[in-house]
Amino acid sequence: MYYTLNMTGFGDYVRTVRATRAEMDVRFTLRQVAQRIGVEPAYLSKIERDLVSPPSEATIVRLATDLGEDPDVLLALAGKVGSDLQAIILRRPKQFAELIRQLKNAPDHALLKVVREVRDGKW
Amino acid sequence: MITLEANSLIFRFSEVHEDAKSAIQFQRTLRIPDDGKHYPLPPGLGAFPLRHVEDFADRVPEGWGERAGVMMPLYQAEAMWIAFGGGGWRSRGRYPFAIKVAAGKINAISGKPWKPELDGSERDYVVLPEQPWLDGFCVAKDVIRQFVAMPLGSGYSVEAQITGKPEHGGLQIIVYPMRREHYEALLRQREQSSDRMAAGVRYRSLVCRAAEPAMGLAAGGRMTQQIYADPHGLDAWDQSVSSRCFVTLVDAVQWREITGEAPPTKPPTAADYTKAGLPWFDYYAADLETLGGAPPLAVVKSVAEMALEKGEQVLGPDGEVNPDTIIHVGPGKSPHSKGRTVREGKL
Repeated sequence: MYYTLNMTGFGDYVRTVRATRAEMDVRFTLRQVAQRIGVEPAYLSKIERDLVSPPSEATIVRLATDLGEDPDVLLALAGKVGSDLQAIILRRPKQFAELIRQLKNAPDHALLKVVREVRDGKW
Repeated sequence: MITLEANSLIFRFSEVHEDAKSAIQFQRTLRIPDDGKHYPLPPGLGAFPLRHVEDFADRVPEGWGERAGVMMPLYQAEAMWIAFGGGGWRSRGRYPFAIKVAAGKINAISGKPWKPELDGSERDYVVLPEQPWLDGFCVAKDVIRQFVAMPLGSGYSVEAQITGKPEHGGLQIIVYPMRREHYEALLRQREQSSDRMAAGVRYRSLVCRAAEPAMGLAAGGRMTQQIYADPHGLDAWDQSVSSRCFVTLVDAVQWREITGEAPPTKPPTAADYTKAGLPWFDYYAADLETLGGAPPLAVVKSVAEMALEKGEQVLGPDGEVNPDTIIHVGPGKSPHSKGRTVREGKL
């Protein structure tokens, strides 16, 4: 199931995803998710209500993993770029900046064409 | 198409259906003792790093570049398991796939030589999402022998024992998606059903080429694991498209020389893990037929048996292992049932 990205913000998205999971699995109460990702339930509650800024990259990645969400999507919703991506861009900033600008309006199927495939050879 | 993302092989068949996407990861784990006992499923200790072989074409033996694919590091006698379908409690990512897995081009389910197609004459593939994991060679009904890495030329691998010629090593995988019309019919059935299970998780130049660092998979200790028969039938699979990948297994000692990266640390022993009170796992899927063992695999000698015959010391001491914390994962009922969780070990 994909959730729409046009919600009001990071917290709204997280709450929707977690609440949907909780309908099927009691392990997704706010308290249990908070415990698994190593934050206080009150803090997660504030995050979900967008009363505080999104948490650190590490916490967002733990949250995404726990909820079965894509960490890059949650980081983007939080206005962040993963440190691994930052390191990649910083190695060749000009080329990657140009690449991203060139692809900004490309449809998904066109983006997939520039994704690197695992090459299959003779065996 | 197959892409490599965060140490997972991602399979996409967008030409078949926009949902036709899944993942395969190779998990580090404990090596279970080969002492005649049947062990439960050991934990996942994180994914093995995966790298494109072609990125290191000048540092690997010739021939690796030709077969391409990806590579990953394993220590001698290190165990591994294959996780299908990605991780987390994803409600998406459950498009059905038929997947063949071979080690050294010997099918891990049937014990027969590699044959890419699904022809119905052999029950030699696993089906996603029913099969979340594969931990080894299917040697008897509900019993596998754990995948254990050994040097390719050492004679221990299943490939060497069955073919007499350790030539390929590594792992070979081919994936077929379900036909679009079958999937859409299945979706309609799922929507009418409230049975929504949570998927558990429980991976130079000629002047300085590395010495032959290839590994093959041998048979380790016995483990209880069901291999589920195809509940959809052969006609459900779209064999007009497929993706395949050769996964080269590299001796971890030589991984740094090839890639410049440190290999993962060695996993703990099963005895140390168990003494620490950490959990083992079992998985039962309700009402699914399971496959019997493959006769060619049933007679393969384990690493411990071969080492004894050869008078070699290739395995460290296993120690006494009595898993007493076993967590049930999956939708079926187990005698050990203690609720669902992920198959992840934490140290």
